Amino acid sequence: MRDEHHRFSRQQLFAPIGEGGQIKLSEASVLIVGMGALGTVLANHMVRAGVGNLRIVDRDFVEWSNLQRQMLYDEEDARHSLPKAIAAKHKLERIYSGCRIDAHVSDVTPGNIGELMDGVTLVLDGTDNFQTRYLLNDACFQKGIPFVYGGAVSSRGMSAPFLPGDTCCLRCLLPESAGDGDGQTCDMIGVISPIIDIVASFQVVEGLKILVGDLERVRRSLLSWEIWDYHTYEMKLPAPRPECPSCGRREFPALQEGGSDVAMMCGRDTVQIQGKRPLDLELWKLKLQDAGEVSANPYLLRVQLIEGERLVLFPDGRVLVQGTEDPIRAKTLYARYIGM
Amino acid sequence: MKLTVNGKSAEVEAAVLGDVLRHYELEGKMVVAEIDGNIIDKSAWEQIGLTEGMRIELVHFVGGG
Ligand SMILES: [Zn+2]
Repeated sequence: MRDEHHRFSRQQLFAPIGEGGQIKLSEASVLIVGMGALGTVLANHMVRAGVGNLRIVDRDFVEWSNLQRQMLYDEEDARHSLPKAIAAKHKLERIYSGCRIDAHVSDVTPGNIGELMDGVTLVLDGTDNFQTRYLLNDACFQKGIPFVYGGAVSSRGMSAPFLPGDTCCLRCLLPESAGDGDGQTCDMIGVISPIIDIVASFQVVEGLKILVGDLERVRRSLLSWEIWDYHTYEMKLPAPRPECPSCGRREFPALQEGGSDVAMMCGRDTVQIQGKRPLDLELWKLKLQDAGEVSANPYLLRVQLIEGERLVLFPDGRVLVQGTEDPIRAKTLYARYIGM
Repeated sequence: MKLTVNGKSAEVEAAVLGDVLRHYELEGKMVVAEIDGNIIDKSAWEQIGLTEGMRIELVHFVGGG
């Protein structure tokens, strides 16, 4: 018991946190969106630091190519194609049983973001796309919740904290019209694991300051790194823009969008279709047994189709069509096997 | 023209900031550009004239995670 009592002693000896900060951490409620490379590092730090409540959300399952950098997963998880949120919850509970972990195998959409952010005091970005980041940004600035951005690809990465009512928001810094995602994803040009740890660790530093209430010392800048051909740069966050549709005009465009039912998973050779109804996996296992080779775990059902593509069904109604980047082909297969 | 781009000295054929972005094939991408520590709004990229020795930082936003 005595040893257990001391598990946060080194962190409490660190004066800016102290015993008071430790109590605040135990009362905190943190949302991490995306449990890929950044998300697993973020969650590991949050849980080890003694955060009392952690909500994690991810739509994907563990694959072998994740193990090089997604530090909470192991070969068992990949072998069983466990959803990342579930595999992460299992591992995190073994690290610190005192943290209540609320895991969601789901996409983050304008429809469910309100519920996911309910009671949350900090949002950490573990996503792999800007569409979701703008959604998180808008929801955070609407509700006044701090949001810490991080991104990494190849040997490059960056991070910035956004504090509603204090700093600018992500849209002020980078308007949605600034440019397109340019195919520079981890699945296209790769990524090395140290840039992940660097970016996520810097997100955690600002996150801890926010959670213990040391807002004065939150770094108000965007840090960026190129770690192979070494270059690092710190850019002061600009003032909030009065004409910003999010923090200025408070229109929060990402919360208004209906959201498309078809999403490309960039560089993944995968199209995701969000169905309107939940899917009973037991039932679909029987229905699809003649469509190809079916394999299942409690969280998803996979069908290797005779056409060559693969369907992955989730109970929340999502279907991944793997082996194509053509949304029309994906919808055709969806219509053929699941029905529109 | 001799410039410092992302911390490295570079010889770039450029009259305005937009030329530097084109040189590095970053036009139309998710980039924030700074000259000597000041963010330059995208709408001004074609108007901002460059002078020898300017320090330009092209911050190319990273989407992966
Ligand atoms: Zn803004």
